[in-house]
Amino acid sequence: MDGSLSTIEKVDAAAHPFPRDQDDIRKYMSAPLSNLRFPGLDGYFYPPPSAEYRPDFAPAGGLPGSDPQLLSRQLISDGEVSAVVLLPLTRGLLPDVDMATEICRATNKWLAEEWLAYDTERFFGSIRVNPADPDRAIEEIETWADHPQMVQVAVPLQAHQPYGQRRFRPIWESAARHGLPVAVHADNLGGNEYWPTSVGYPLHYVEYAAQYSINYIVHLMSLIAEGVFEDLEDLVFVFADGGIDMLFPLIWRFDSDWRAIRSVTPWVKKTPVDYLHGHVRFCSHRFEGPLDAEERLPWLQAVDAEHLLMYSGNYPSVSFEGPGAFDNAPAGLRERVLCRNAAELYPKLGARIS
Amino acid sequence: MAVRACRIEELPPGSRKIVPGGRFGIGVFNSGGALYALANRCPHDGAPVCLGPITGTTESERSYDAKWVKDGQILRCPWHGWEFELATGKSVASPPKNIRTYPVRVENGWVIVDD
Repeated sequence: MDGSLSTIEKVDAAAHPFPRDQDDIRKYMSAPLSNLRFPGLDGYFYPPPSAEYRPDFAPAGGLPGSDPQLLSRQLISDGEVSAVVLLPLTRGLLPDVDMATEICRATNKWLAEEWLAYDTERFFGSIRVNPADPDRAIEEIETWADHPQMVQVAVPLQAHQPYGQRRFRPIWESAARHGLPVAVHADNLGGNEYWPTSVGYPLHYVEYAAQYSINYIVHLMSLIAEGVFEDLEDLVFVFADGGIDMLFPLIWRFDSDWRAIRSVTPWVKKTPVDYLHGHVRFCSHRFEGPLDAEERLPWLQAVDAEHLLMYSGNYPSVSFEGPGAFDNAPAGLRERVLCRNAAELYPKLGARIS
Repeated sequence: MAVRACRIEELPPGSRKIVPGGRFGIGVFNSGGALYALANRCPHDGAPVCLGPITGTTESERSYDAKWVKDGQILRCPWHGWEFELATGKSVASPPKNIRTYPVRVENGWVIVDD
């Protein structure tokens, strides 16, 4: 492989398939929950004031991102991507734990039947689980882990407790036992997430939208501080909603404080930053970074994109970004971001693309 | 150069003296009869580390099972709480950032530090 763009295989590490309409997954649910109403995909406390998804990513009569054939054409044929990791969204933090779990179950069946079966070579999937329901999250992982195209477990970025805390540990143990990374992505906002910041509630969508993805750092610090990565040495968390541009400044603060207060959490054996290579990956969307192309490269290097970053477009978002976003990166870095990091993280996918 | 720190009877077990020597002064400790001498400067931020408490530390095999170990063998910096082994000056946390140590002996009833 000479590293020129045309010869690099490309992987989109996070595209979001949607049902054709809000209610489309109901037929995969079981009674009695299938008889109840459940939140739609757009029940926002902060409604986006403009379009959230690109109209050209929608099939006639369906939601954007709801047509496997259209997604395949737009990402694979036109976008020249060799493999896509599909990360379906669910309905946020529903207060009804059983309903949230049932929606995860239905989403997994729907994904397998309507998407993974559509292209068994290039489509790969994520097993949705409800972190508030650990026992049944594990059942769901057990059900799907051996599916040849299911490559990871997926949970919402929104949470009632940071993910390192002990109630979640059995879920992560199950994922690790099956060799599956855990992807964290902001869910569709159908649930009760008028979520606060550490200093209260913002009032406008723009404030909310600009800050939400960096909440990954709260999960990450929790995972490190609770010793999850020390106990589960093969477990990888994928922060699929971007924010890597903020990673190092935030981890440096953690490193500095950790050294002084280490004795409270002696199960943390390494400096926090030293857990990143083995346990953390980021999807590239949204890598805000500097707008200027010349400043973008040093920033990519500063955040160790070569080891930690996987390209993702965030289809069908209005801010979808094609793999050309990395055209100016040096060949080695570009190849790792566009392909190798994902191929190594997801062995089932890696086996398909060379 | 040899520094005469104090008479040994002035440094009973569990006590310490800060004496002139080296660039930053030297802390001389009697820990259960064993004598140690460390530079009075924390390698982190320059604090007078030898004024910190003598304590123990924690170890763990897995999450949530902290054990209290090395009681009386750990010097904790009074500024930021960095932990060091009194006997070696080595930091408990890695990567290592250690306190300089000096040879210390008793001669004719005097505690002598070679700085």
